[in-house]
Amino acid sequence: MRLSLEDARTLADRAAHVTPADAAEAVVTSSASALTRFAGNRIHQNVAESDTHLSIRAVLGTRTGVASTNRLDDDALVRCAAAAVEAARHAPEDPDFPGLPEAQPVSVADRVNPATLGYDADRRAEAARAIIGQSEARGLTAAGTVAVNDYAVAIASTQGVDAAMEAGDLRATVLSMGGHGGNGWASFLGADAASFAPAALGGRAARTAERSEDPVSLEPGGYTVVLAPEAVADIVDFLGYVGFSGKAFAEGGSFLCDALGTSIMDGRISIYDDALAPGTVGISFDYEGQPKHRTPLIEGGVAVGPVTDSYYAHRLSLPNTGHALPAPNPYGPIALNLEMAAGDASVEDMVASVERGIYVTRFHYVNVEDPMKVVLTGMTRDGTFLIEDGQLTSAVRNQRFTQGALEALSHVRSVGAQRSLIGPGEGGATLVPALLLERWEFTGETG
Amino acid sequence: MKNIIAEALDAAAIAGATYADARVVETREQELSVRTGRVDAIGSSESLGLGIRVIADGAWGFAATADMSGDGIGTAAREAVALARAAATSLREPVRLAPVDAYRDTWNGPCEIDPFTVPVDDKLAILLAADEALRAEAAVRVSAARMAFLGVHKMFGSSEGSLIEQSYTESQAGIVAYAIGEGEMLPRSYPNSHGGQAVQGGWEAVLALDIAGHAPRVGEQAAALLSADSCPSETTTVIIDGSQVALQVHESIGHPTELDRVLGDEAAFAGTSWVGLEDLGTLKYGSEKVTVTADATVPGSLGSFGWDDEGVPAQRDFLIRDGILTGFQSSRESALTIGRTSNGCMRADGWNRQPLVRMTTISLEPGTWGFDELVADTDDGIYVETNNSWSIDDRRLNFQFACEIGWEIKGGKLGRMIKNPNYTGITPEFWGSCDAVCSPKHWQVWGIPNCGKGEPMQVAHVAHGAAPARFRNVRMGVGR
Repeated sequence: MRLSLEDARTLADRAAHVTPADAAEAVVTSSASALTRFAGNRIHQNVAESDTHLSIRAVLGTRTGVASTNRLDDDALVRCAAAAVEAARHAPEDPDFPGLPEAQPVSVADRVNPATLGYDADRRAEAARAIIGQSEARGLTAAGTVAVNDYAVAIASTQGVDAAMEAGDLRATVLSMGGHGGNGWASFLGADAASFAPAALGGRAARTAERSEDPVSLEPGGYTVVLAPEAVADIVDFLGYVGFSGKAFAEGGSFLCDALGTSIMDGRISIYDDALAPGTVGISFDYEGQPKHRTPLIEGGVAVGPVTDSYYAHRLSLPNTGHALPAPNPYGPIALNLEMAAGDASVEDMVASVERGIYVTRFHYVNVEDPMKVVLTGMTRDGTFLIEDGQLTSAVRNQRFTQGALEALSHVRSVGAQRSLIGPGEGGATLVPALLLERWEFTGETG
Repeated sequence: MKNIIAEALDAAAIAGATYADARVVETREQELSVRTGRVDAIGSSESLGLGIRVIADGAWGFAATADMSGDGIGTAAREAVALARAAATSLREPVRLAPVDAYRDTWNGPCEIDPFTVPVDDKLAILLAADEALRAEAAVRVSAARMAFLGVHKMFGSSEGSLIEQSYTESQAGIVAYAIGEGEMLPRSYPNSHGGQAVQGGWEAVLALDIAGHAPRVGEQAAALLSADSCPSETTTVIIDGSQVALQVHESIGHPTELDRVLGDEAAFAGTSWVGLEDLGTLKYGSEKVTVTADATVPGSLGSFGWDDEGVPAQRDFLIRDGILTGFQSSRESALTIGRTSNGCMRADGWNRQPLVRMTTISLEPGTWGFDELVADTDDGIYVETNNSWSIDDRRLNFQFACEIGWEIKGGKLGRMIKNPNYTGITPEFWGSCDAVCSPKHWQVWGIPNCGKGEPMQVAHVAHGAAPARFRNVRMGVGR
């Protein structure tokens, strides 16, 4: 069981106001989550947890300290508050600290859905069996998850902040594996489980697995690629991680530095952060209780600006876009609900337009080698196909790529009309279309 | 804790569990970080909770709660059994466990000076001094210094009669300088990247690192990287420093020899393994210079404990001996598939997670070479230090690593500095090309406190003993 929304709100308000400091902020997250995991066509893990986490940021002048606990008795609350104050007492003065932000009106998205909350252990097991059944019927092996999150977040401060919301989401994944190197992948993420169709999801992965059996080798080099949304999400997430943060921008480590107002990508690329978008997941205000809005980051290929929290908004003399993470936050403000604007192409049209290229279902283990140019390396996985004369022909072995994301996004042939929500759930998600890119550098393949 | 565990085991049995274990875990953490002259974070946290794992109707169920009341414990135990019964609806084979003795014992990790008793001011003084020293070079526009401490007190009990209490302290410290210029941001770290070095131990371990003393050199190297030549694109000989060898072991030997991965249980997330059960005892994993152990008894290592999280005693086992695959990291359940008992690799990252097969201290055993002797023996190649980026495929075959810094080797001597060195390879070919490993004098245990695996995600604290090693015919400068 998690705390009710009102109990979370009451706890946050109480914690902020019992803290013996010049100002204080409290963040309460209370969650009940469950995950059914399957592999080898059987459920092998079935887990559930409930926990409540209280974090207090104490302010003494321009000094701040943070303490947190998952104990909710009075003694623990007082101890947590005292620890936050003690930490602040030892912190040096920070002349850039603007003080805790004042209360602002926030939009609270409706992300509590009975269909999602109804996914108990029996429903999750039923869904897992339906997914597995699609692989099993084809002589394949399925692995994946059906997971449900149900949580409440409340933020209160001595500056009048009182933001709270509850939300839930369901995430399901399936990897279907054949006996001759064929793999297929499908996933679902949404606040409303009513649109989750387990058998259809399992069928999609299984069909890809069947089609990707007996993959062939590929010569390394530059290829035209059709990237399915899961692969595009990895690229966009890395742009957010290394480039869109106000902290990276302030430090001179972002590709946005010295580029605002200039074209850095193809004109068909527009990227926003929008925690209020219909169908997305996560909370619709930030962890300082400040409002989130639809925040343009790249518009028509032109760099617009980074995301900020109260600290970096002050330091950069920019508006606060509402992207604070819970304090203490070494990452700076982060965009948690990135989205790429849709285009007008179907994936079928994209493939049909390629004389010779590669279709990528998703990437695996992507990492950044050069943060300023966003040079990424990683592998393809779970359905990589050769495109010849406008058609998917043979499956190819998983390929390693080493590619500058900015460079690739500067040569876009078309953008998909349909978008998919990809991501881990509670922390937000990425809403992206498929992309047809002129060139993507493959530098090796798996053995 | 003892009463909570007894109550949990009783409640699980009443609910219908045929096996149960319960873990109460209490943690406290402290983190301090300084970035470019500003204190980025001073934070502390504490956590207490209970995890109950059961077998019912032949399947696993796991429930965790922070509610330690009688009602909370009973509810969690019943939920674990209900989860097991739901899982049993897709059962293939009932879960069976390799036998283990019942233990009633305690274990404490090493810690000379409790870091939680050291004044914050003392910690900040070191961090601020190190951070400032990193920025003595103008090209270093961003600097960071960080310390983190973890205290764990936990108790494990099982329906088979074990009751084990363990405590340990972990300490971590590190610095990094970022030189920024002409569209590049180049990091240089000490003693390792991604947060520094982490050990089981106390404040004494942090003092021994002397991060402030090393900061001027680190800053100078970062600044020098800006004007260094880029890594050439070529196939050549590479000598890799101990910290990067540690990560190479982690990604291309540690993960593929986890038996749950080999069996496919991690397929959808972390992936599977290029190694099969049938390879045990015959597969040539690397050259005869490659001997790798899994050892949970190394003093001061993040991978050490008295018993794992299903009550199996800490052990030292061989995974690879003279290049041949001889073992896997296992659990009580998975060990039965290779006809063995568990070698004690099951760990959870907290009370709220079900244990998984996790690395302990997975080490490349030292060879005989001195470092200078190894360089002198190399006519042409590149020496690289300190990981900057890592990536490997879902079967742990095709990898690509980037390092922070390199030096050309010509005629047996280190020459010009090289920036952005990266290398790629295929696991058995790469380890097969290892022709020299440095001696125990150059061997040390590197802590890796950020190993992600499992769903829900768990972050394990593991470690690797490694010394500099040489590899032939390695492709470097990929994508350059």
